[in-house]
Amino acid sequence: MYTFGIDIGSTTSKCVVMEDGQNIVGTSLLVGGIGTRSPELAVSQALENAGVTWDDLTATAATGYGRNRYEGADYNVSELSCHGLGAHHTFPTVRTIIDIGGQDAKVISLDEKGRMNNFLMNDKCAAGTGRFLDVMANILVVPVDEFAQYCEKSVNPAQISSTCTVFAESEVISQLANGVEMEDLIAGICSSVAVRVGNLAKRINIVPDVCMSGGVAQNAGVRNALSRSIGQPILFSPQAQLFGAIGAALYAYQKQVKK
Amino acid sequence: MNKQELLACFHEAVADPRKLMDKYLAEGRKVVLTAPVYTPEEIIHSMGMVPMGVWGADVQINEAKKYFPAFICTIMQSIVELGIKGVYDGASAIVIPSLCDSLKVIGQNWKYAVKGIPFIAMTYPQNRKPAFGHTFTKAGYEYVIRGLEEATGLKFDDEKLAESIEVYNAHNAAMRALVPALAAHSEITCAQRSDIFKSAFFMRKEEHTALVNELLAVLEAEAPAEDKIRIMTSGILADAPGLLEILDDNGMQIVCDDVAAESRQYRTDAPAEGETALDRLASKFCAMDNCSVLYDVEKKRVDKIVSDAKAAKAKGVLVVLTKFCDPEEFDYPLIKRACAEAEIPCVLIEVDRQMVNYEQARTAIETFKDLL
Repeated sequence: MYTFGIDIGSTTSKCVVMEDGQNIVGTSLLVGGIGTRSPELAVSQALENAGVTWDDLTATAATGYGRNRYEGADYNVSELSCHGLGAHHTFPTVRTIIDIGGQDAKVISLDEKGRMNNFLMNDKCAAGTGRFLDVMANILVVPVDEFAQYCEKSVNPAQISSTCTVFAESEVISQLANGVEMEDLIAGICSSVAVRVGNLAKRINIVPDVCMSGGVAQNAGVRNALSRSIGQPILFSPQAQLFGAIGAALYAYQKQVKK
Repeated sequence: MNKQELLACFHEAVADPRKLMDKYLAEGRKVVLTAPVYTPEEIIHSMGMVPMGVWGADVQINEAKKYFPAFICTIMQSIVELGIKGVYDGASAIVIPSLCDSLKVIGQNWKYAVKGIPFIAMTYPQNRKPAFGHTFTKAGYEYVIRGLEEATGLKFDDEKLAESIEVYNAHNAAMRALVPALAAHSEITCAQRSDIFKSAFFMRKEEHTALVNELLAVLEAEAPAEDKIRIMTSGILADAPGLLEILDDNGMQIVCDDVAAESRQYRTDAPAEGETALDRLASKFCAMDNCSVLYDVEKKRVDKIVSDAKAAKAKGVLVVLTKFCDPEEFDYPLIKRACAEAEIPCVLIEVDRQMVNYEQARTAIETFKDLL
């Protein structure tokens, strides 16, 4: 049985085709989320990668910020539930998931059977999200995916004291003007996100194992800083950004099995 | 009237309170505005006027920003915004209590921002339980009476107040009976439930009591509907249509509440005994409890939320936190902890009077549903 999950985020669209709720047979990840053509293209790409057609799918589920505007799915599920399912599928021992997406951050707590038992979402604020990193990357003219390399070279990470993204932007410009090294500045930026999200996570009882999901999970600079902030190692999967879509495909599978 | 007609009456009052105000004014009645959270409406009623609650509205706030810092309660800001824009024109006065720091500020700003509607302060005591708290409260009410007499030319009569207390106690009883009745009738949506409570601030109490009692009789005669997902709400306000729509979309049913604009208003009656009716009214305030703006070092409110949720068989508690509401923010960690200890899922969503996009709240509520 093939099931399909689509995660339409604020900045990216992700799709997963699963076979029998176990094996991932096709994936796609495109820049561009809600309101763009990316969801449509991501669907085609994932199906092509899996070598199946839409008609081969038994059930589909949509998640993410754009789930309610996507009309092709059989089910709509909140992204927190899907990230929980997807993370547990990848890491069966995981109990705490920290999801940093394009525009928000969430912490999900699972019980030993992988059932969600608590969650927290950040305030409507760009600080502590992928958007914060994007804004800083634009100022520094350094791609976000190179941040980790800079962090490794940092000796004396800069302090970014402003919580607000707008104020932090001014602060980073001031630090650039004062000659702070790029690697220290980038390490400080990653640390700023990590501390903010780490404090959100501390409001929930952090039970190991901990993993990250969402696009920012790819950023080792933030991941390592977050690990230091919460005092726990963080499990990482290259598929972390697909956890929502994996969870959606699993949800669709579970619904079919229950029928 | 049948159920749908009654619900339509409540909705009509909420959809256009100005229409009701114009009707009262056309009938020759004076209207006095009452700001959150607790205002001695009985005094206004006893003087032959119509108290109308002003809890702001979901509007774009522009003019009021001249008078407030950015990070302050938008209920307060929207009240001033509506005042500046003339939405309350024709009102004889506004009574604003001093129950939180934001409320203390609004009165002073109102005097400069809204010239045509006199501001009357109602200063409540922090310590309301000792005898001096009663004396202080009564003195506050006497100040309100003087202000109302000056603003309207009408005179206060303690015997009339005794009659008004009966009207308000009867309304309280009807509103208290409403909560379990609605809990048994899940076909009444969260939005319709909100209409019933909210309309109480705009309609004359006698009329509202009659309609609520009529609805109770209709519900009593009908077989209870099948339960939806039973939740309890807590907060200052939970009346945003966008939020209520999400609750209804997700099959949720509010089976009890700890909302200041809803059940908290009706928990306490003025006692039957007292030297004067004004003493009885002061005793009512002194007896009130279980509210974030009523000082209580023991925070008994937290235990009440848990016990109410259990008694109503609520599967979870939804805390609807008005942004920048300090009293509610102080209580939230205690509520969260108490719910966790009682194994009642509790989720927080933040709202304000300027929300346009409820997607984050939708995600939180959908996840809450999955959790339940």
